[in-house]
Amino acid sequence: MRKALGLVGLIIVLCVLAYVWEYLHWYQHSKDLGISFTSNFLSLTNFKNLLPWIGLFGILALAQSIVIITGGIDLSIGSVVCLVSVVSCILINKGQGWSPFLIFPFALCISILIGIWHGTLISYFNIQPFVVTLCGLFAYRSFARFFAGDTTQGFGNALPNWKWLGKGTLLDWFPSLQPSVGTAPSTITLLMDLVAAPLVIMIFFTIIVGLFLHLSPMGRHLFALGANEESARFSGIQTQRLKLLAYVICSLIAGIGGLLFAFKVNSVQPSDFGSFYELYAVAGAVLGGCSLRGGTGNVIGVILGIALIMVLRNLVNILGIRSELEYVVIGGAILAGVCADEFFMRRTQKKRTIEAQRETK
Amino acid sequence: MYRYLPSLFLTVILTFVFVIPMGCGSKQQGTSTSPSANPQQKQTVSPSAKKVKVAFITNNASDFWKIAEAGTKKASQDFGVDVIFRIPSAGTAEQQQQILQDLITLGVAGIAISPKDPENQTEMLNDAAQKTNLITQDSDAPNSLRKCYIGTNNFDAGVEAGKLVQACTPQGSKIIICVGTLDAQNARDRLEGLKKQIESTGHQIIDVRTDETDRAKAIANVQDALVRYPDVACFVGLWSYNGPAILNGVRDSGKLGQVKIVCFDEEDETLQGVKDGHIYGTVVQRPFEFGYQSVRILKELAEGNTSSVPENKQIFIPTLSITKENVDAFWSELKQILGKS
Repeated sequence: MRKALGLVGLIIVLCVLAYVWEYLHWYQHSKDLGISFTSNFLSLTNFKNLLPWIGLFGILALAQSIVIITGGIDLSIGSVVCLVSVVSCILINKGQGWSPFLIFPFALCISILIGIWHGTLISYFNIQPFVVTLCGLFAYRSFARFFAGDTTQGFGNALPNWKWLGKGTLLDWFPSLQPSVGTAPSTITLLMDLVAAPLVIMIFFTIIVGLFLHLSPMGRHLFALGANEESARFSGIQTQRLKLLAYVICSLIAGIGGLLFAFKVNSVQPSDFGSFYELYAVAGAVLGGCSLRGGTGNVIGVILGIALIMVLRNLVNILGIRSELEYVVIGGAILAGVCADEFFMRRTQKKRTIEAQRETK
Repeated sequence: MYRYLPSLFLTVILTFVFVIPMGCGSKQQGTSTSPSANPQQKQTVSPSAKKVKVAFITNNASDFWKIAEAGTKKASQDFGVDVIFRIPSAGTAEQQQQILQDLITLGVAGIAISPKDPENQTEMLNDAAQKTNLITQDSDAPNSLRKCYIGTNNFDAGVEAGKLVQACTPQGSKIIICVGTLDAQNARDRLEGLKKQIESTGHQIIDVRTDETDRAKAIANVQDALVRYPDVACFVGLWSYNGPAILNGVRDSGKLGQVKIVCFDEEDETLQGVKDGHIYGTVVQRPFEFGYQSVRILKELAEGNTSSVPENKQIFIPTLSITKENVDAFWSELKQILGKS
């Protein structure tokens, strides 16, 4: 929980810094022109833009965190995103009027199969997760390109209701509240416009995954497995089956995330759609307190971690930092966050050992 | 039960190894090895006995190259040439090098390549140019020994885009540029041409945002730019996917119609946007001509005929500006080429 508070603090510090930066910029350049100061970063429109992205990437980070907690890693998430999107686009366009209710579950079945494949190789054949999923990273994108014949796919103008899942907001449900042209929208309207569909879906998944990981016995076994697989097995946990399950859940959630990305972007180029997204997911999970050694992490932290990364990405644009420097900012911030975490953890550990020594004396 | 698992595993792997090549194999017929095909030797063989074999290498996988492929196919029929069309799947310079070497080993009479990184690939291109007829297309490598270049003059294309911007916005308007990366020469040239053209009317470029070809990020960039610069009048997208991305971003921000869009190339969503009036215009290259002309020139070079290569070794294929007036005609022609209904 302290971790989560730290992350919230970090995000707030970033917001304040951005505000000050904007103020200084205004003070230097526009004050004498008689323009009054408004913050672009802390504006409603900006949050409206930012929240759906947090939702979309948050879902991928949740998927990743489940696997990371078992001490593994899933590098194939970006390619799974691509494959699932491509397959569903193709089926929608060429499927002779098949129902989307059939097509999307079918696409998700592919991601489940991928999960089973990963899980089986990793837990029953003892192949390292990094290797298995790295091969997946290569293979699934290649499959996607093969199926698509290397052409860009999309849903076109079809499926407006499904696309709502990727790009809609709560406001779309209440047409009566839509602001008419010329009048100022009411507060309720503005707030409802902020509640983006992917964000809601992400929160839904956070709750489900959170309940599973932190409250169900199976979830606790997962943590035990990640901390020390051998001792978990000796204490009677079915580690192999559990590991398999983790990879299946991870791929399934990644597949769902992929569909949402496709709904949002609506233009899926097989050669680069979703590339590097697995690394954003890893970064979010690690920043959120998941150790790559396994056994630690919680969902709130993961969500805040990915939120922090998305805020940084947004900041680079809003403050007009040159695009080239974006990854310096993101990389630097992640490293700083992880280092700070390590520092504070060591300090508390030291304190504890000192206290323990005192008591024994 | 566990005793059988390794063999099961082996079966699965073997299936992977054998089934996939079979699936793709049908496409690669006709690339079987041929006797060494030196340009000089070629002439001694009678044309009916052996077709000239030339190759076309792209820089990545996209619809753009599908159109070029259609052009090469047309030319292969028209001129009686075998064309090997190669797409480097990862779109990296290393992969291009591998393909280039393989093709030379295969003994093709000529190669048209779109170098990914011309500056650093010069050596590789020179190597190839000594062994076969090498021309560049789409992206040039002026310092190499290539026989000639076929493609768009990106500076002129930028000028065309500038004219579109001037047509849809008043003098002195603010413009934002969206592009994948600025280290690509075509992006720089287009930007320079655009700048040159709009200079006279006082239009100003207030920001350039890059997205590393991540489409999701391209949309976010537009949304963020609309927040940061509420008074922007026009977005210009320099690469093909930037058009749809800008359209989506502007639509999401509810500013459709208020903010003008000018972009490049002919993605379906871009053309739909032009048709609906949300995008003012798009400057299209003509990849079909790239493919067609490359094959034609390569065949002539293989026969020792250099009459089509101009003094400055650059053959420019002019761009087209597509606006609401001519979008329908252009689009139906395009669909015909790509075989889409």
